[in-house]
This record gives sequence, C-alpha cells and structure tokens, in this order.
Amino acid sequence: MNLLTVKNLSKKYRDTYAVKDVEFAFPSQTCIALLGPNGAGKTTILRILAGLLKPTSGEIIFNEHEQRKDFRSDIGYLPQHPVFHEWMTGNEFLIHSGRLALLSKEEAAKRANQLLDKVGIAEAKNRQIAGYSGGMKQRLGIAQAIIHKPKLLLLDEPVSSLDPIGRREILNLMQQLKKEMCLLFSTHILTDAEEISDELLLLNRGKLFESGKLSDLRQKYQTATIDIEFKDNSTAYLEKLLRIPSIINGYKEQNTIRLTAEDISKARKDILIKAVHEEWPLEYFSINKASLEELFIKVVNG
Amino acid sequence: MQWSALFKKEMLENWRNKKWLWFPLVMILIAIMDPISNYYLPQIIKSVGGLPEGAVLELPEFTPVEAIMMSLGQLSSLGVLIIVLISMGSIASEKKSGVIELILVKPVSYANYITAKWASLFVLIWTALFLSLVCSWYYINILFGSFSLLQLIQVTFFYGIWLTLVITISIFYNSLFHTPGLVAFLSAGTVIAMSVLTKVFHHILTWSPNKISEYIHTMLLTGEIPSELIATSSVTAGCIGLLLFFSTIIIQKKELGSR
Amino acid sequence: MQEIWSSINWAVIAPLIVIQGILLIIALIDLAKTAQTNGPKWLWFLIIVFINIIGPILYFLFGRRQG
Repeated sequence: MNLLTVKNLSKKYRDTYAVKDVEFAFPSQTCIALLGPNGAGKTTILRILAGLLKPTSGEIIFNEHEQRKDFRSDIGYLPQHPVFHEWMTGNEFLIHSGRLALLSKEEAAKRANQLLDKVGIAEAKNRQIAGYSGGMKQRLGIAQAIIHKPKLLLLDEPVSSLDPIGRREILNLMQQLKKEMCLLFSTHILTDAEEISDELLLLNRGKLFESGKLSDLRQKYQTATIDIEFKDNSTAYLEKLLRIPSIINGYKEQNTIRLTAEDISKARKDILIKAVHEEWPLEYFSINKASLEELFIKVVNG
Repeated sequence: MQWSALFKKEMLENWRNKKWLWFPLVMILIAIMDPISNYYLPQIIKSVGGLPEGAVLELPEFTPVEAIMMSLGQLSSLGVLIIVLISMGSIASEKKSGVIELILVKPVSYANYITAKWASLFVLIWTALFLSLVCSWYYINILFGSFSLLQLIQVTFFYGIWLTLVITISIFYNSLFHTPGLVAFLSAGTVIAMSVLTKVFHHILTWSPNKISEYIHTMLLTGEIPSELIATSSVTAGCIGLLLFFSTIIIQKKELGSR
Repeated sequence: MQEIWSSINWAVIAPLIVIQGILLIIALIDLAKTAQTNGPKWLWFLIIVFINIIGPILYFLFGRRQG
C-alpha cells in the first residue's frame, strides 16, 4: 500500500515547465530525498504536495484507500525559509499551529511542550520569535510541522542554510523523525541524501532523472574500483591482472593500479587467489565504493 | 475550535500592536473634532479678527442632529481612510511575509480563515465607532442640546453596517492581492467610486450603501426609521455576505505564487 | 486673545488634550520598545513629538514593522 502516489505531475509557468511528467510512489515509513541542483523543480514539487500550488496536470493520490482530496491534516510542511508570526513567542506559535491542525487546547499545549524539548529550543519558548536565530527558527519550523503527528513530513532544504553544527543537529533530528513518519525532503547535497534517505528521486530541469532505493542505485551506477599496490614495480602485474576475466579495465597511476570490475566480489576473489598462488608482493589492497557523486554530476551536467 | 483559535490570534495581535489602544482614540478625535470646532468657530473668528469694520457675521446655530451628522461626515472621510489603512495588511501582509504558507498548509478551513480575520476587524471597528459616537454624544449634549440615547444607538447600529462594508471590501482585496498598499488604494478607490456613482445615479441607486448616512439623517429628523434605511442596510448586508463568500473562494482557489 | 482664552470651556477642551497626550505617550513607548521601525527611529521620534495628533497616527500606521 503506497502512502503517496504521484502520477504525471507537471507544473507549467507561461511556456516553461518547472516540473514535467514526474512520477513516483512510496509506502509509509520511507525516507525519500529529492535530490537535484538549484532550479531542478524540487521546491515546486514539495509546494504542490503541500497544496500551496496547483499542478497544471497530473494526479496526487494520498493513502490510496482513503481517496481524500484534502489531505492537509496528514502532512507537515517546512518551507526553505519559514516565516512565523514574529510577535508571538515560540510556545504561542506552536500551540496556535496545533489548534489550527485541530488539536484541542490541552493537547496542543502538551505537544508544544514536548516538541520544544525535542527540537531543543525549550529555553527560548517564552521569547518572541523575532529574536530567534536562523537555526532556532528552523527547529521551530520542524516543530510546527510535526505538531499534529502527520503521516508525511515535507521538508524543503532543511539544512542548507545552517552552519555545520546546526546542520548536524537537524540531520540527527531527521534520523529520529524518520522512525515515526514518512519523510520527503529536498536537498542539493548528495551526502545529506545518502546519510538519511532510503530512496532517492534524482531531479534535473523539472524532470525525474532516476529514482529508486539508495542501495539499488548504488549498485546500478557504481563502477566500483579496486586499488592495488605492490612492493616492487607494478607494471608487470598490471598485464597479469588484466588477463583475469572478471576485470574490465585497469590503469596505472603512479604506483597504484586501479581496476574496475563488473562483479566486484568475484573480481576480489580472483585477484586474491592469483596473488596467493603466484606469491605477489602485495602491499595494499582496497575496494573503493565511490558514492553516487558521479551519477549526480552526470545528471547535473547532462 | 479552529475558528476561535484564529480569532483569538487576531485579537491578540491587534492588542500587541496596540491597535486596540490607538484606533479607538483616533476615531474619538475624528468624531468630536467637527462638533467642537464648529461650536467655537464664531468666537475664534471674532477673536482672530480680520473681519472688516461693520461686517456682520452670520453663523448658523447648529442643532444636535446637525452636530451628529458632522461626526458622521468626518468618520465617512477620515475615519474610512484610517479603517482602510489598518485593514490593508490583514491578509496581504501574511501573504507578503510568507507566514500564510504555514497557516494554510494546516487543515485550516478557508471560510474560518477569512471570517476570523473579518470578525476581529468587525469587533474592533464597532467598539471604536460606539466609543467615538458616545463621546460625540457627550459633547453634543453639552454644546448643542439634548440628543437621546436611543437615537445614538440607532445611529451607531446603522452607521456600523456601512463601516462593516468598508472592512469587508478591504478583506476582499486582501484575498486577491499580497501588497498592503495596493489593497488600501483599491479599497479607498472603490468607496470613492461607489460614492460618485451614487451621486450621479442617485435616482436609480436609491438603496446604495453610500446613502446610509443620508437616511440616518432622515431618521433623526423624522424620528422614525425610514423604509429606505432598512432596504439600504439589507442591501449592504447582502454585499457584505457576497464579498465574504467570494473572498473565501478566492483564497482557496488562487495560488499563493512563488516567493 | 485674552477673551477667547477665558471664554473656552475647559471641560470641553481638556478631554481632547488628554486623548492627544495618551496617543503621544503610547506611540513613544512603542517606539522605545520596538527593535526596528520602517525608516530611522529618530525621524519617527521627531514626527511623533512635533506633528500634532497626526504624528502618532502616522507612526502606528506606517512606522511599526508588521511581524
């Protein structure tokens, strides 16, 4: 059962598409990263899902069996630069948000208190939001987004405007939250996506370039490399290595031989058996699981 | 209840930004300004001088009814201007700053959102109107002669309906645009255009909301509520209802746009 | 001038002056408390203090930052 299904989603401004024919679906309890460079259409997709923009065409189905058109009570949304009623205190704003999300007065106050602790701004709860720092506003933003325990939490670039410490803390908070609800967040930073998400939606120029489980994508795009160093001149060994059928390619870079293989585990076995048999003076052996960086760069440039 | 949360937020905001303090005071000043200055006008002219020797200055003596109409006259110009200005950002500034995104992403009923905004302004202007007319009434009783409390309440009630239309016009433009200045400009422009149209087509538009003051005058002179006043008030109430309805539809259908 | 001074009924004028004074004081208190205004603070101070009645109203309408 999918929590969210998006079919053929497009958003057109005059004659340019901000988003074109995007399709994806995911079950609950998933954490998905919308990854792409600036202007890829990430924010547009999130704002459509949040109900702030109307799609030009396409369909959004939330919780298939329910068939609701207005599913705002089950989503939480944090814009990239959240703006609050600055004259309110953090606590007042959270209670107000809770009441707008149809919580009772008591419930809203209770949730507000819990969340102020959870996101770590409890000591500032009775201060005016006008005096909050950027990081504090981001935390307050997350708190207001989850006050009503939504099933789906939409976060637009939740860490991009924060300093390294604040970023670390928000990432940790997201790790916790993904256990409680479905997370869909946008980012232009691959490592953030890799760290938190189970699935990736790779977006460029409004189009979905690639999507799937992070582990699957890794396997699909990773041409993993094996680096080997020898005690003496390694040129002779390069030829021998290239004769192993499981190895596709290889070259020498200074003293290191870098090999690429299709099936990395088979290649490893073959190399090590041969090395033992022929008593190669191995100095260094390493398998590099490069990240999706290359795929990402390919998408951005393509 | 969601509506009361929205309403309380508006009331609290208008308290914290001190609208609840200064707006009634300003309305009081506007209402009492003309009756007082007209009362002292003969003395002021006499003492300032400047009249040629032998000239006889004939200044009319004002009746209490004329005096209260002076108050309404000032409220209809300066008062309406201030009302337009205090309501211009009601929704527009929330759109401009972006805070409305956090509000409307919650399962907020669009009708609740609009009516809570409207109701908070409604309470504010009715309170201010009542206070300002009570002060005017106090002065009229001292300076011009007696004016009954019942009449005062009638004036407040019917004139309040007109001012309610003004805030509703403002709410309507607020739902359409996200620039407070534009909202104020269009609201004031609409009120002025309505008044011009009413003057030009006065024999056709007998129930135009702009005629409420005129019929209030008739009511005070005859001592009875004229049927035109009832009809005009009903038309005005109908306009208010329609505008609120359209505002709700607009805020629901219109995209907030990208910032 | 003497004549007009004595002829004025102070029971009539005093409330006017009081309302004006309250407006002035509220505006000044608000100005002192607020962190930021639209435009320089000192300018608003001058406007509030020196423009009779209208000054405080202008400040409330245009000087305060709407948060």
